[in-house]
Amino acid sequence: MKVKRQFFLFTAVLLMLSVLPVFSTGQQGADDVDAKNLVYWSMWNETETQAMVLKDAIKEFENENPGVKVDIQWNGREIRKTLQPALDAGTQIDMWDEGVELLTRSWQDYAVNLDPYFEKSYPSTNGKAFKETIIGSLQDLASDLSTDGSIYAVPYQPFVVVSFYNRDHFDKAGITKTPETWAEFLETCDKLQAAGFTPVTIDDAYMDLPLGMHLNRVYGDSNKVVELVKDRSGKLWDDPKVLQAAKDFEALAPYMSPQTEGNKWPAGQQEVATDQVSIYITNGTWLPNEVMGTTGPDFRWGQFPYPAATNSASVTGGIYGAQGFSINNKCAYPDEAFALIAHLTTGKWDKELSAKTYGAPMDTSMPWPVQIEECESVFASLDTYIPWSGGLAEDSDAFPIIVAEFTSLISGKITAEQFIGNVKAKLK
Amino acid sequence: MKRDKTMMITFVTPALITFALVFIYPTIRTIFMSFFYVQAVTDSLGKWNFVGIDNYIKLFSSQMFVQSLKNIFNIWFWGGIGVFAVALLLSIILTSGVKGKGFFRAAIYLPNVISAVAMATMWIHFVFSSKYGLLHNVFDFLGWENMAAVQWTSPTNQFASMTVAYCFGMVGYYVLIFMAGIEKIPRDFYEAAKLEGAHIFQQFRHITMPLMRAVMRSSIVMWSVSSIVFFIWSMMFSTLDPQVGTVTPMVYMYALVFGRSIVPSDPTLLNAGAGAAVGVIMTLIVLVVFGIVNVTIRDKKIQY
Amino acid sequence: MNILKNRFNKQTITRLPGYTVLNLWVIFTAVLVTWIILASLSTTREIFTSTMLQTGFHFENYPKALFAHNIASYFLNSVIYTFLSGIGIILIAAPCAYILARFSFKGNKFIQNLFVGSLGIPQIMIILPLFFMASTFSLTNSRFLIIILYICLNIPFTVFFLLSFFATIPGSFEEAAAIDGCSPMRTFWIIIFPLAQPGIITVAIFNFIVIWNEFFIALIFANTSDLRPLSVGLYSMIQSMRYIGDWAGMFAAVIVVFVPTFIIYIFLSKKIIAGVTGGALKG
Repeated sequence: MKVKRQFFLFTAVLLMLSVLPVFSTGQQGADDVDAKNLVYWSMWNETETQAMVLKDAIKEFENENPGVKVDIQWNGREIRKTLQPALDAGTQIDMWDEGVELLTRSWQDYAVNLDPYFEKSYPSTNGKAFKETIIGSLQDLASDLSTDGSIYAVPYQPFVVVSFYNRDHFDKAGITKTPETWAEFLETCDKLQAAGFTPVTIDDAYMDLPLGMHLNRVYGDSNKVVELVKDRSGKLWDDPKVLQAAKDFEALAPYMSPQTEGNKWPAGQQEVATDQVSIYITNGTWLPNEVMGTTGPDFRWGQFPYPAATNSASVTGGIYGAQGFSINNKCAYPDEAFALIAHLTTGKWDKELSAKTYGAPMDTSMPWPVQIEECESVFASLDTYIPWSGGLAEDSDAFPIIVAEFTSLISGKITAEQFIGNVKAKLK
Repeated sequence: MKRDKTMMITFVTPALITFALVFIYPTIRTIFMSFFYVQAVTDSLGKWNFVGIDNYIKLFSSQMFVQSLKNIFNIWFWGGIGVFAVALLLSIILTSGVKGKGFFRAAIYLPNVISAVAMATMWIHFVFSSKYGLLHNVFDFLGWENMAAVQWTSPTNQFASMTVAYCFGMVGYYVLIFMAGIEKIPRDFYEAAKLEGAHIFQQFRHITMPLMRAVMRSSIVMWSVSSIVFFIWSMMFSTLDPQVGTVTPMVYMYALVFGRSIVPSDPTLLNAGAGAAVGVIMTLIVLVVFGIVNVTIRDKKIQY
Repeated sequence: MNILKNRFNKQTITRLPGYTVLNLWVIFTAVLVTWIILASLSTTREIFTSTMLQTGFHFENYPKALFAHNIASYFLNSVIYTFLSGIGIILIAAPCAYILARFSFKGNKFIQNLFVGSLGIPQIMIILPLFFMASTFSLTNSRFLIIILYICLNIPFTVFFLLSFFATIPGSFEEAAAIDGCSPMRTFWIIIFPLAQPGIITVAIFNFIVIWNEFFIALIFANTSDLRPLSVGLYSMIQSMRYIGDWAGMFAAVIVVFVPTFIIYIFLSKKIIAGVTGGALKG
């Protein structure tokens, strides 16, 4: 009986001790009751370089503004699934970040209209209005994506989707000019293969980009791609343009890495990072940063814009954009929130972010990091905005089916005709 | 014995309250919700739009939902056969008098105890890697070039890979159950059969299987209930959003209600009402399976 | 004599393939875990070029995984959730099982069937209203909520499991206690409850493992950095690894999550197996 009594006593003590944290909610309130508490749900994972820089930047802001305390929740990209339900449930979330496209198209109704804030100046803008210090094309993008032409997201970490290549491999294969047409692209792959390299690879996570880009090149209009994806009758898929696009990829298949089919992201990225493959056909400018652990900063990266397709209608469109910050329209301290955002995205911390994350700066006078320097001119020259996935994702039912068939096509497992046939059959 | 009504009520009520709160009320509400269009799962009743069986019609005309049903059926059927066959084999071996039975049984059950997230990671990034993985290296070593080059995680192969990996972990649980069931059968039966000249397979067919009826029946029900909620392995094998080879009803519902990584711009695609309909369909399937199993495998009361 | 010889030959012949199968199965599991451990001591580059461990043992992957990824808080959360829920489940389920086992009354069978029936309800059937209720009371993202959920969700099984244990305890104990003047409720807690200890401990361990590895509920209700338990925490660590390309670190995180469960399993495997077998056979 003594043992049993001790056991119960022990359990009771444990119970009492552990009850203490029970009533804590996930978000710790401010220590100082008078402090203004801002809750920031971040899209970054705590171990990413962006998170480390943002942490330091936010700490500095708190020191400079003693009345403000920021509580950061590092959600990772799961925020895409957890933010909206949390907002609907009334959780206190004052600001969040994600891609500008997502912020504006999906979450505009939760966010503050930022136009008035863009007119003001902040400590880091040197007296100029905020809107004059950051890249204009991104502001235009943000306002274009919204339903009322206002800006709902402060862009930062601009990106553009390009093809990445290993400059050492290109040098060794005697390639002096980056390809601009599909025929040139195939020739480049041929030379790489002759020099003993595996020319191209990609991962499942980005598998939609080449097809999306290609179809946009062919049609010149992303709305046509959306129509194609939503088509269930099969008529639009019979268009010879689509077949030609498929044939382009059939021709590329022999140059793709044998791992392409099974590459679970980021395995393909590692193929390029470990010198085993020369080209990653489509990725965002964040790629060098994501594989920095394997490559080190001395890896000679090159980029070129996605080539023209055979019989392209247009070659100047690109998938570009930025990450962005939004402020909750229920936020109690929007002014402080925007001041924080300005602090993070301009001036000193813009420079820090760019340097430490090998990402593009928002300041138009600063050069882009050497790892993505060839992207700077690409970004500047883009005149048509293509949404992520080129419009393929507009039908969430057809999307995975098309991508699965496309994977078989680009790995050489099926022919172009089979690709079209399979897609038509499965989407009926 | 004294029947203390107060005690009876005090003791039973908390359990009943939690049950009503977490099972009865939500089940009824989910069934109700499945007949409405509900954009956000947190919308109050006022924001619900009655659509009758529209949600159900939309679901069955969604290729990905239908694919998820196909996937779950294949997991249940082929996976079930595989798991039960292997588990029976292992449990027969273990109850035939081998040494180290306890050790083997514990070792075989181990994968079932480890977090599925950890197991799935080990399978995806080690066993199935076509670059440096186990299968690749083994086949390479054996000189089987074709098999060494197989892309286990490709869209065409990943369903089978995922199912095999899942089943490996599940075998252990059924080995435990089958062993307990077999060990209940008196040894005399087997002795008598051996004396009459029956060999292993005949013993199995005429003694083991009939007497394992009840165990089999409850195992099939268990397997059905656990495979219908196939979720974690699916999430692990799908990189961002549900893929053709990995989608299951629960994953489909999660994407339908809570969103995806690559988001279409049309907000009306999020529909909690349809998510509820998925739940109703899944529960109906479980009930049907339960009914079929109970009818086909009659439980004979067995006296030893 | 002939019969004996035949039986001996049959035994050796039939046992050898059996041993082979068993050993293959166990060896596969061992290889799986061992490789992951070795990979976790390597670098990402080496893993991909199949040159593992060429630059020696990289033990630093472990402190990195432990501290950069917040594993300690995930571990603490798992401990809090399993302990508190485990206690809560027993406190509510045991008395209920006792009453259902001991006393016959109208509705007894009905209640028992309700509980058993709920075991077949898939969680997707109840999750949406649960989320709605939680958000209405502003309880989303709170430890309180998830513990309540874990308790409520596991009560039916625990009641079902404990029913037979209480049924086997002879009524003489209650009668003796009544003669001594002990009230029925006190009798239960002081005498009957301890007597059912083997069953209670077994189901408690079973619940422990279920809640420890639970994923779906935690994914929806406890998915912020302060609240994640190990299962969801590991999932978020793996996702985050992808963005920094750190395979070795990911494997280190997997091992760090694997080891506690493994150690607990080694000590408690007999009990766990007994619990699984006992509970399942009653179905």
